[in-house]
Amino acid sequence: MATLSSSSAHCPSYAYHRLSSSSSNGQHQSVGFTSSLPQRAKISLQCLKNSHQNVVLMQDGPVATTATPLETETPFKESKGGLLSGTSLEECKDAVGFDNNENEPSVSITVVGASGDLAKKKIFPALFALYYEDCLPKVSIYFSFINPGLSFCNSNFAYKGYLRNMVSRTLTCRIDKRENCDEKMEQFLKRCFYHSGQYDSEENFAELDKKLKKHEGGRVSNRLFYLSIPPNIFIDAVKCASLSASSGNGWTRVIVEKPFGRDSESSAALTKALKNYLDEDQIFRIDHYLGKELVENLSVLRFSNLIFEPLWSRQYIRNVQLIFSEDFGTEGRGGYFDNYGIIRDIMQNHLLQILALFAMETPVSLDAEDIRNEKVKVLRSMRPLQLEDMVVGQYKSHTKGGVTYPAYTDDKTVPKDSLTPTFAAAALFIDNARWDGVPFLMKAGKALHSKRAEIRVQFRHVPGNLYNRNFGTDLDRATNELVIRVQPDEAIYLKINNKIPGLGMRLDRSNLNLHYAARYSKEIPDAYERLLLDAIEGERRLFIRSDELNAAWALFTPLLKELEEKKIIPEYYPYGSRGPVGAHYLAARYKVRWGDLNVEP
Amino acid sequence: MAVRLSSCSLSSSTSYLAPYNLSHHGNLATRVCFSCDYVDHGRTNQSRRFALKASIVQPLNAVSLHADTVVHTPAAEHVEIPAKEGYIPFFDSDTEESTLSIIVIGASGDLARKKIFPALFALFYEDRLPENFTIIGYARTIMTSEELRNIISTTLTCRIDKRENCDEKMDQFLKRCFYHSGQYSSEEHFFELDRKLKEKEAGRQSNRLFYLAIPPNMFVDVVRCARRRASSEDGWTRVIVEKPFGRDLESSRELTRELRQYLSEDQIFRIDHHLGEELVENLLVLRFSNLVFGPLWSRNYIRNVQFIFSEDSGTEGRGRYFDNYGIIRDIMQNHLLQILALFAMETPVSLDAEDIRNEKVKVLRSMKPVKLEDVVVGQYKGCCEGDTSYPGYTDDPSVSDDSLTPTFTAATLFVNNARWDGVPFLMIAGKALQSKRAEIRVQFKHVPGNLYNKKFGTDLGQATNELVIRVQPDEAIYLKINNKVPGLGMRLDRSDLNLLFKARYPRESPDAYERLVLDAIEGERRSFIRSDELDAAWEIFTPLLKEMEKKKIAPELYTYGSSGPVGVHYLAAKHNVRYEDYC
Repeated sequence: MATLSSSSAHCPSYAYHRLSSSSSNGQHQSVGFTSSLPQRAKISLQCLKNSHQNVVLMQDGPVATTATPLETETPFKESKGGLLSGTSLEECKDAVGFDNNENEPSVSITVVGASGDLAKKKIFPALFALYYEDCLPKVSIYFSFINPGLSFCNSNFAYKGYLRNMVSRTLTCRIDKRENCDEKMEQFLKRCFYHSGQYDSEENFAELDKKLKKHEGGRVSNRLFYLSIPPNIFIDAVKCASLSASSGNGWTRVIVEKPFGRDSESSAALTKALKNYLDEDQIFRIDHYLGKELVENLSVLRFSNLIFEPLWSRQYIRNVQLIFSEDFGTEGRGGYFDNYGIIRDIMQNHLLQILALFAMETPVSLDAEDIRNEKVKVLRSMRPLQLEDMVVGQYKSHTKGGVTYPAYTDDKTVPKDSLTPTFAAAALFIDNARWDGVPFLMKAGKALHSKRAEIRVQFRHVPGNLYNRNFGTDLDRATNELVIRVQPDEAIYLKINNKIPGLGMRLDRSNLNLHYAARYSKEIPDAYERLLLDAIEGERRLFIRSDELNAAWALFTPLLKELEEKKIIPEYYPYGSRGPVGAHYLAARYKVRWGDLNVEP
Repeated sequence: MAVRLSSCSLSSSTSYLAPYNLSHHGNLATRVCFSCDYVDHGRTNQSRRFALKASIVQPLNAVSLHADTVVHTPAAEHVEIPAKEGYIPFFDSDTEESTLSIIVIGASGDLARKKIFPALFALFYEDRLPENFTIIGYARTIMTSEELRNIISTTLTCRIDKRENCDEKMDQFLKRCFYHSGQYSSEEHFFELDRKLKEKEAGRQSNRLFYLAIPPNMFVDVVRCARRRASSEDGWTRVIVEKPFGRDLESSRELTRELRQYLSEDQIFRIDHHLGEELVENLLVLRFSNLVFGPLWSRNYIRNVQFIFSEDSGTEGRGRYFDNYGIIRDIMQNHLLQILALFAMETPVSLDAEDIRNEKVKVLRSMKPVKLEDVVVGQYKGCCEGDTSYPGYTDDPSVSDDSLTPTFTAATLFVNNARWDGVPFLMIAGKALQSKRAEIRVQFKHVPGNLYNKKFGTDLGQATNELVIRVQPDEAIYLKINNKVPGLGMRLDRSDLNLLFKARYPRESPDAYERLVLDAIEGERRSFIRSDELDAAWEIFTPLLKEMEKKKIAPELYTYGSSGPVGVHYLAAKHNVRYEDYC
């Protein structure tokens, strides 16, 4: 869970922000980012399918400004219209469609706020992983835009030392396992540059633009800005980047991280402000949960397996549970969290997005717009949450085995009287033909006894079950259940009833199991890798569209306001426990039993 | 189960006419019969009850012989244990009074040695046998009880050996085993057997289970003798018979008719040991206790079903029995067809044996006889591989050189009812193939309008879901699903949702024979084949078998250890099925 919470600790940049952004006037709009089609663009097939506006071309070619020993070392194949199919070197090369041409478009990725935790822990490692696997365009430049408050003696050399230090510490073992990692890292670092400036200074961005132009060497320039900064300076940075550093002849895209506002109004305001400078298709709202392997797989499971198709409705599904739990608290970094709470931090975005993917109708195609259209429909069919369908909790201090775990309010960055929920359980309903009456239960919490994220689908009883006698009194224990475990240990399993081998007739619930670690030895790429690559390729499927975001906020905003107005006291639960018992009573009201708290896995 | 015989078919077939006639005149015979007839009375009543429940069950043979004597039965003596409720009746209050005698006829044969005695011992070890039980081996060989014990003790299995005090248990078990030598057609010898049994029973209520581990041509003789001279007077008498149950519809009916002269339907336990396999038992649990399979189980979602049974060995010098029957009679008409019936049947009213068997019969009767053009037959030929050479089927000295007996058969069958109309059921059975396996594969249809079709290449048949129930080796259930290969991009893969029994249930599963013998003792008829089922099964295959023999259809030769004749793929293709000849 990379949240921006961390950047608060790291961010002297806060001091520099100015809330001038939203007041930017019409003249700027005309200079807004362009998303024109590159003239000489050679179109890679998989991108064509997905992006109408920006056809990206990723080709290689000597880079004027950076040393590129890489080219001679790795002879690239001819481009093929093959499918983008995996992480192996070969596959990525195919997908990207390298071609030795001097006039290749270039891609530059500028991480704005590069000194933050998110950048350090997620973005740079993901970039390096993609670079390592040759998934990035050959002509790519990585710029770190850093606030001068954090100085590296203003030299690239010092910055590279810092970056190397930082990146190498956070690089995952997936990369470390392989050969010539050091060499690759050198090459990667050679492409990393550093620019220091204020996030709200058009001048500083103009300087960046100059630098970028130098590196692009006259090629078509495609620019991706990753805003790894607190939300209050989004607009400033977007304004400056748009006015002073957007691409003249290629595409310009901006990745933004949550939070996207605190409620319907602030989210709408943010969207409106962003749209002053950006088109909808230039905004890539990242929800890194959508980049998780098993969330990606959810649609494949649903739509490419006949056996699930007849089951996927109120006729067979009794309830659906979306569960997210962490086994640690805010740990001294509660400043950001306290302002948002678990509902905004996890439920309104991650869990709701997964719910929408789970429940949507079959889209017309796998195109981003078709999928997002279906997701919006689900969100708009949902009933706004009611207070009585919600249980909130907050963890309290707990001593176990001589170790004392702090309460949420013991966190120095959290006010003593904070009512911010660190746990929430909610029952949601989708009032459409497919899902009418099926409870969708969500549960998210910090400082619980386990760390997991999973989707559990509980099926109905077998009508007129011949074996009812064998199940005892609680028939709920005997229903089928499909579990999609996103973390830890990615797995899909289907609980079925089964005869215990042996004489006599004793039944057992066992699992039809697919354990990823056992079947796929390859390490699964981090969600950020996938999402960064998608953004470069213009694949918007996993990013959140404005209307989705609106619909999501519309569901939660009334409840959030009511919670705050009425100052609802959260139910306290001990650190490391299973969470407030209220969650069980909420579930019981809808005849549901939480599947994650059973003794069996 | 190929029961090999050192048979003297001549003597036994002649002997069975004469005593049959005698029985109508001999006073002794009627007297003995009288006493055991009341046992049948209860059974007859039960059969009537079942017949009412399911009108489709046609009484094949009116048991008039019994009905006559039944009248004389004193009602007061209805103390016998009702077979249907008798799960483990002996553990109940009447432990003291009742005894169980298991008489293994053909005790010196392979089947008895390798399967029946080990199964009995396993049941004993697990305390599944009643307290007062006696096992008597009966065969023509002259030997002592001690000699029999020596023979038995060599074959008791390691499942038991793994545990503690096996030796002690084995001693206890062997003490209960006795031997009685006699001719299979001699009523006198059976009368002696009866005396011996009475001695062991010591006046307590007697229940007797005869296991006929003998060639089929002696079934009737033994049944006649046992019935007249050695059936229980105050308890039940049951007879387990092994296949073959005839060679075709007529001979099967004849056998049934003859057996029914001496036994009522519910005394006959026709064993099909495949129905005692763990995963076959599990098939019904899977189907009927899991909601997720319910909606899928029909022609709407299932494209085809495959029943595969392959052995990696040939007849290996023991082809005489097999040559007379062939793989269709040996495997298909019974084992595979039974599994098919369990697979395809409608939900029974209850889990009672009669309800389940009623449903199975309905499936069998909805099937059309197999046509010659829907069948591929093969016979293995010799081959060399490295230093070892494998013999062809006709190289077997016990097989005639010009034998046309199929050692491999593939057939497509159809169940013409509302649920299964048009769905091909592909059966494949063969010897001397590359692997040993028995499994059910259910291939589902394509996803209509699949969004991911582009990812699957041209053969969409490769991309459908498949449910595999693997009976052997390594019992497992797995469901093939399409899944995204983890990583960047979107590549699909067929992976398995898997349940490997070995991993989840480390305990060894009991042998099919254990389960079935126990069921017979307890009167649980679910896994035994009723006459009308047998009849229906023969009706499906008899026309084909006759045509093949009349036309002298030459089997397609295939190499020992190969994947079988390629003809099977063309047969499969004809019905839009894809058969993978490797796992």
